[in-house]
Amino acid sequence: MQKPKLVYATYIRTTPRKLWEAITKPEFTHQYWGGARNVSDWKKGSKWEHVFEKEADPVWITGKVLESTPPKRLVLSWADPDRLADQSRVTFEIETMEDMVCLKVTHDKLKPGSKMLRGVSWGWPRVLSSLKTFLETGKGLNIFCK
Amino acid sequence: MKREPFVYVTYIRTTPEKLWQALTAPEFTQRYWLQTKQESAWKPGASWRAVAPDGQAIISGEIITIDRPKKLVFTWRNETKPAITAEGYSRVTYDLEQQGASVKLTILHEMDKPGSKLLQSVSGGWPLVLASLKSLLETGEPLEETRRYVAC
Repeated sequence: MQKPKLVYATYIRTTPRKLWEAITKPEFTHQYWGGARNVSDWKKGSKWEHVFEKEADPVWITGKVLESTPPKRLVLSWADPDRLADQSRVTFEIETMEDMVCLKVTHDKLKPGSKMLRGVSWGWPRVLSSLKTFLETGKGLNIFCK
Repeated sequence: MKREPFVYVTYIRTTPEKLWQALTAPEFTQRYWLQTKQESAWKPGASWRAVAPDGQAIISGEIITIDRPKKLVFTWRNETKPAITAEGYSRVTYDLEQQGASVKLTILHEMDKPGSKLLQSVSGGWPLVLASLKSLLETGEPLEETRRYVAC
């Protein structure tokens, strides 16, 4: 059975550089990504982590930077640190258009029926909606408590 | 094999009533939805159509279910491209769910016909129109790309 794939496109009134920074700088991510910080030097081959500093177990997601072409394309491997054998992959593609950018996020190589698949299916529309609101209004959405 | 429906979820800082108005009322749709407006009596069984600035119907259909401001189900047939018109009626569902100070909007667009060109076309259109709607409600301005009518 083919592995499930999520694709989500949105359009944001911002610049590619500002969007890249919103995704990669921890001082921005925590403002819209449910309080989490994305931490890495974002060079190909480097580790990256999705961190909730106040939690007892702060690293929720970890992986490697597979491709990095700022501010157009970022590809990351993605896994729960307690389940490193289940590696999925996230691709961010940023395309400039008139007064906006198109952000396309593809999350593939997910394990069918997995908790991770359910989690990211719940999460990506929330994170990307909140990201758009953050870049366009200065404040993210408060939609992360289940 | 039946084609998988198109599903899109977005969260918008607004209220269900304001979002419902923005999805259906001409003073909103003409600003972010390619200058179109919708004509309907908004009751189950009533006809529904989306109309271009020159008065031409570009989409036609019928209201199936209406539960303002939570749920709207209607049929949708393209009226501008003969090959797509020939596919017949698809079905669209809007689900609006309040979540704190935001609304979760789920769009479901279903077409029984496999290999549907309509579904292919709206899969590109919905994210753009909904992004413009979100910008309009949250910032007061729609996105530039969806302000003017373009036949599609």
